[in-house]
Amino acid sequence: MTVEQTDESAQSAGSAQGQASAEGIQPDARSGMQSSLLYNVERFALPSLLILVLIFFSVWPKTGSLFASAANFQEVGSDYVYIGMLALASLLPLVCGEFDFSVGSNAGFTQIVAATAMARFHVPLPFAIMLAIAFGAAVGLGNGNTVSRVGVNSLIVTLGTSAILLGVVEWYTGSQSINIGISPSLVNFGSERTFGVPDMCYLLLGVALVVYYVLQHTPYGRYLSSVGSNPRAARLVGLQVDRLKLTAFVLAGALAGVAGVLLVAKNGSATPEAGSVTDTLQALAACYLGATSIRPGRFNVPGAMLAVYFIGFSVSGLAIAGVQSWVSQVFSGAALFIAVVVSTVIGRRRAGGA
Amino acid sequence: MVSASAENPGAGGNVVPALAGDPALGEPLVPRPWFALSVWHVSKNFPGTKALDDVSIDVTRGTIHCLLGANGSGKSSLIKILAGVYRADPGGTVTVESDTIDADRTSPEWARSSGLHFVHQDLAIFNSLSVAENLAIGRGFPVHALTKAIRWRALRRHARTVLQRFDVDVDPRRLVAELRPSGRTMVAIARALQDQSDASEGVLVLDEPTVSLPAAEVDILFDALKRYARAGQTIVFVTHRLDEVVRLADRVTVLRDGRVAATLEASEVTNEKLVELIVGRALDHDIAASSVLDGEDLVLEVSDLSAGSLRQVSFGLRRGEVLGVAGLVGSGRTTLLTTLFGVQPPVHGTVKLDGSPVSFSGVDQAMDAGLGFVPEDRSESAFVNMSLRENLSAAEVPKYWRGLRLRERAEAADARQSIVDFSIKAISERQPFATLSGGNQQKAIVARWLRRRPKLLLLDEPTQGVDVEARGEIYRLVRQAVASGSSVIVVTSDFEELARVSDRVVVLTRGRITGEVRGPDIDPSRLTELVLSAAPDSDESRLEASQP
Repeated sequence: MTVEQTDESAQSAGSAQGQASAEGIQPDARSGMQSSLLYNVERFALPSLLILVLIFFSVWPKTGSLFASAANFQEVGSDYVYIGMLALASLLPLVCGEFDFSVGSNAGFTQIVAATAMARFHVPLPFAIMLAIAFGAAVGLGNGNTVSRVGVNSLIVTLGTSAILLGVVEWYTGSQSINIGISPSLVNFGSERTFGVPDMCYLLLGVALVVYYVLQHTPYGRYLSSVGSNPRAARLVGLQVDRLKLTAFVLAGALAGVAGVLLVAKNGSATPEAGSVTDTLQALAACYLGATSIRPGRFNVPGAMLAVYFIGFSVSGLAIAGVQSWVSQVFSGAALFIAVVVSTVIGRRRAGGA
Repeated sequence: MVSASAENPGAGGNVVPALAGDPALGEPLVPRPWFALSVWHVSKNFPGTKALDDVSIDVTRGTIHCLLGANGSGKSSLIKILAGVYRADPGGTVTVESDTIDADRTSPEWARSSGLHFVHQDLAIFNSLSVAENLAIGRGFPVHALTKAIRWRALRRHARTVLQRFDVDVDPRRLVAELRPSGRTMVAIARALQDQSDASEGVLVLDEPTVSLPAAEVDILFDALKRYARAGQTIVFVTHRLDEVVRLADRVTVLRDGRVAATLEASEVTNEKLVELIVGRALDHDIAASSVLDGEDLVLEVSDLSAGSLRQVSFGLRRGEVLGVAGLVGSGRTTLLTTLFGVQPPVHGTVKLDGSPVSFSGVDQAMDAGLGFVPEDRSESAFVNMSLRENLSAAEVPKYWRGLRLRERAEAADARQSIVDFSIKAISERQPFATLSGGNQQKAIVARWLRRRPKLLLLDEPTQGVDVEARGEIYRLVRQAVASGSSVIVVTSDFEELARVSDRVVVLTRGRITGEVRGPDIDPSRLTELVLSAAPDSDESRLEASQP
């Protein structure tokens, strides 16, 4: 045993990762029990909150009659499909440790692509949808290449992309909406219901299931989380870190393309104002909020979807109660803020304390 | 003050030759301006270890005094006591100039105020700031009295004066990142000494400043240090490179096992003598036999491999053999492993695996060929926010991809098996990796590769920051793998450990293989001797390693 070794073990004992106390079984087991209780409380905090919100606005006399109606549920359901889709798009880069700040603007861009294809070039609906997705994916390819090949911070790259897309949309449309020539079947899809549930909700559910499957049940999803957890270690277990990041951005772009089509379906038109940075922020907020539950500490699909509708129903309830619209904004901001603070504190306690 | 003040300073050590013409010897109570720094009877015990045992050293003003010793000799403990990071056991004293303090009461503040200035291996220099800003950091920027804005012109003027004084020929406005490596070290030195009014004031302590410097840069740095010393600057230079001592030192103190082995004058210093003092016994004069391995059963044949700091490295590795690599930080030992693992391509040379040449353009190809790599730093191997299960299977995820699903149940069962097989202490395989102790994390990472039954496992400092028990277990696991046919290359600075686990050890010095020891000849002091005494820069003395 040499002195240097003493130093090292002393240092590692002090670090969060190498808690000396975890050596014996006893303290380990105890801290594990504590954290597993905490873990479960944390896991179901967001679903419980969602249920509480639903109950509260249904019983509150001021909102009850309007809030607890099928019409309101249908409206909130379809209104937030678009944000839900953006959240799914944001999720993939987030899982591998990168930001995509351009998903909202990308949706705004691809709605114009889809609408223009139908209105100006009379492209049949399926091809218009494919075009929108392809354009979205191309934007993602640009983002991904700049991030992974050149190594620029993804926040900066995608902020730039976002601004460029907004500008391009304004230039191309001359700030005019595209109202005429939209495929009626697309518009119908935006408003029709099956078994009382808006069709768009089924689409969101379907895409969410696919993304969940990809992230949770395929090696690709595991690789993305590994890259997000520790890119250098990921490289040393043979993962192509750059390529994985690139694909995450491309998929995010493609999903933003789907979101763009949903915008046209919902609004029956393509308006340059739709699809904005605010939408991106809401989607990112949902992802972060969702990361505090179901699988705490990790970005996950069910959590993000719950978060989207937690915000959706809360905002709807507040609106029915007659609060001014700025309150809703403050509410979703505050929800994100509190969720992230709480999960950071709990996460730190779990990693370091015990 | 010291009770045994009349004693010879080296009474506890082995030899301390009296300094010629030293009038102060034997009169330690009188202020001794002769010595800029005196360490008297300093001891330091760690639980179970005696890091320093009655160490006394006098450093004469205006000289370069080297402090030399192997890993664990106590030199870093001594430096930490001087810097106030550690406190020594009660009893000794430290004197800087005429400022004496009990050795158990040193503190960073005291070190600063008494005139001890430290420049550590990582220079704590900010690459993205200018030279002038770097000089001002920690000292304070000159600011405008009213607006508190930085007075840039005054800052640059000060920087220019300081740089001139230390003979550093750079524009203070340049970014440190643009300087050559020796320039950065010199800026760090200038920063440490800038407030001395006079060169003969204070003591500059350099703690292994040359570890990551190329040879040409070392020359530039040494010229500068000699100039400073001539101007009256006292310099304590900590190193474990003998050639540096021979070139630089006015006097050298060798530490061994926490004691002063000897203090020598420059005229008495020879490479051999230093090695004897460091290792503690006479030198073996027979040079390590360079062995030629026969072609049979060679898993790995490396010939003429150059990459990064590696220069024409050649060696072979048999099936079921543990090959140790002994070398200092910066010897190219990590480059050797990462190059074999396909992290970066070799510049030159060939690698044969099972007799057929391979060239990996990525880690995945190396893994397909049966290689595994445990990096030196756990931050390059651990997925701390993922579960133990996911960490264990990180290198074989596709194995669980069956019928369009990741079979998590099978993965969990394997993880539980690994927890037993590799004696990982964990409550469950679902446990977040961050909540495991360092030793258990490391066991899991070694297990990650052993599960794949690697043909060749590369271990870089596999027991760094790991407790003694886990250390033993890790090597037991490695031994098991070897028994079932894996071959292992292990790099570690702990020569005792290297001696215990290796069948054969090659010595790597500044990118070249300079020696080889096998079987019964492997012992820690022999390895220390070989690592320290190799003279890598002259090609004649280079020993050819095993040529397959």
